[in-house]
Amino acid sequence: MSRSAKPPTAPPRPDQAFISVRGLTLRFPVYGYDAKSLKKHLARVAVGGRLDQARHGSTTVTAITGLDLELRAGDRLGLIGHNGSGKTTLLRALSGAYEPDEGQIEVRGKIAPLLDLSLGIDPTATGLENIRLRGRIAGLSARQVEDKLDEIAAFTGLGPFLAMPMKTYSAGMQARLAFAVATAVEADVLLMDEWIAVGDADFQKIAHQRLLGLVERAGILVLASHDLDLIRLYCNKVMRMDAGVGSEVVSIKAMDELLARPSVR
Amino acid sequence: MDIAEHMLRTGSRGFRDDLARAVDDLRRSVRGLGLSWSLAWHDVVSRYRGSILGPFWITLSMAVMVLGIGFLYAELQNIPLETTLPFVALGIVFWGLISQTVIEGCESFVQASGMLSQTSLPMLTFVWRTVLRNLAALLHHLVIVVAVIAGFGLWRTMDLPLALAGVGLVLVNVSWMCLLTAIISARFRDIPQIVMSIMQFSMFMTPVFWQPGERVGLMDVVLTWNPFFHMLDAIRAPLMGVAPEASTFSVLIVMALAGWVVAFGLFTATRRRIVHYL
Repeated sequence: MSRSAKPPTAPPRPDQAFISVRGLTLRFPVYGYDAKSLKKHLARVAVGGRLDQARHGSTTVTAITGLDLELRAGDRLGLIGHNGSGKTTLLRALSGAYEPDEGQIEVRGKIAPLLDLSLGIDPTATGLENIRLRGRIAGLSARQVEDKLDEIAAFTGLGPFLAMPMKTYSAGMQARLAFAVATAVEADVLLMDEWIAVGDADFQKIAHQRLLGLVERAGILVLASHDLDLIRLYCNKVMRMDAGVGSEVVSIKAMDELLARPSVR
Repeated sequence: MDIAEHMLRTGSRGFRDDLARAVDDLRRSVRGLGLSWSLAWHDVVSRYRGSILGPFWITLSMAVMVLGIGFLYAELQNIPLETTLPFVALGIVFWGLISQTVIEGCESFVQASGMLSQTSLPMLTFVWRTVLRNLAALLHHLVIVVAVIAGFGLWRTMDLPLALAGVGLVLVNVSWMCLLTAIISARFRDIPQIVMSIMQFSMFMTPVFWQPGERVGLMDVVLTWNPFFHMLDAIRAPLMGVAPEASTFSVLIVMALAGWVVAFGLFTATRRRIVHYL
């Protein structure tokens, strides 16, 4: 992909969400089991030698190479690509968890990473306690959590079960609660790893409505998925990733052409 | 507490820039101290869920230890019980604060790997969580402290402001130790074992139970060069109505500064990679 091929984009309005990723390269040092043991690390230093270095040295995996991405308010980007192509890594980088090795990531607006619903959920705590805790982790103040508590509790539909520990819940009930809290936070930038679908048929319907509302209000959605129909349904732009290299961002109408390419590299 | 409204992340632009980022992490974590406290309090509550006494179980076991060791050492060292019991009680309670914080510091980042790998929460939030959790535990154990202060009339002679200053300095010091062990044990998983051994060894080398005698020979070395002695003495001596060693507070201040420089330097150097260690 060449940078010059991209159409020049107007500078974002200061009050609107935007994402700007330039030349992003992310490398993961993989610390082998051996390298994690200090004794062996010391032994390696003491022994020196190339053989040991090869055996115990940490390897580096390049997860994303030279990726460029510009998104403005109103953009709904679908990320497609094989397993291990770097979609989730890109989402995590956009969430601010990973620091770039090269290039830069700039995001304006409140980010809500809905990557893992079970994040911060403690199965031994009650439903209500988990709502409070998860809300705090998502960036709400204690007061904001209390303000939203009734609404979230009502949405879960769990009623008296909210006073019971989460571990007594069925998987579906747990998912309902996690979903209700995770989607209670208004955000400008929504990051999703697969469209979230939880609960039984009835709940799925209202969950879908809630999620759509959230997406409507958010400036930007980045959704990684293998489900192309889903991408067609919710996104207006699409980007294909291949072994850590991103294609240019194209309109959703051009998705088939993008897919037809042997490789984006 | 914020998930940054404006986030800029770049590749490394050298040490100065990394330092600025580390300071920014610190700044955000201090602003979000409420979150650290929520997490810490949740830890305390969930750890003792279903038990009637809750964290007071630890208080109770400490109290039993205080009584047993107090009577034994009064006998062994030929010191009246009125001095030994408060000495041992304050020793055990505040030693608990110091050693538990340092030991639990090892888990600070490892435990938070889920949150660290998918949110932009400041990393130091999880160091404060460990420190605050132990402070919450200390609040429970204050029952013992209040009991000996009241029971042995220490309130007549104690220097409370100085003792509180001691607690403050000790917290500043255990915080950098916590950060240091958090980083190193994220990278090397044997560190928690080593830290635990060091703390256990230190407990016996520090006058937690036993009263230091004359400062000659080995005793002088143990007292002068043992950082934990100074930490403990800065809190206990004022409460016992004894002036702490002249050097104690200066040692603690120097140690706090030097320790934070080292720990924060390491944090600055490794911050980008810590999430990959986990």
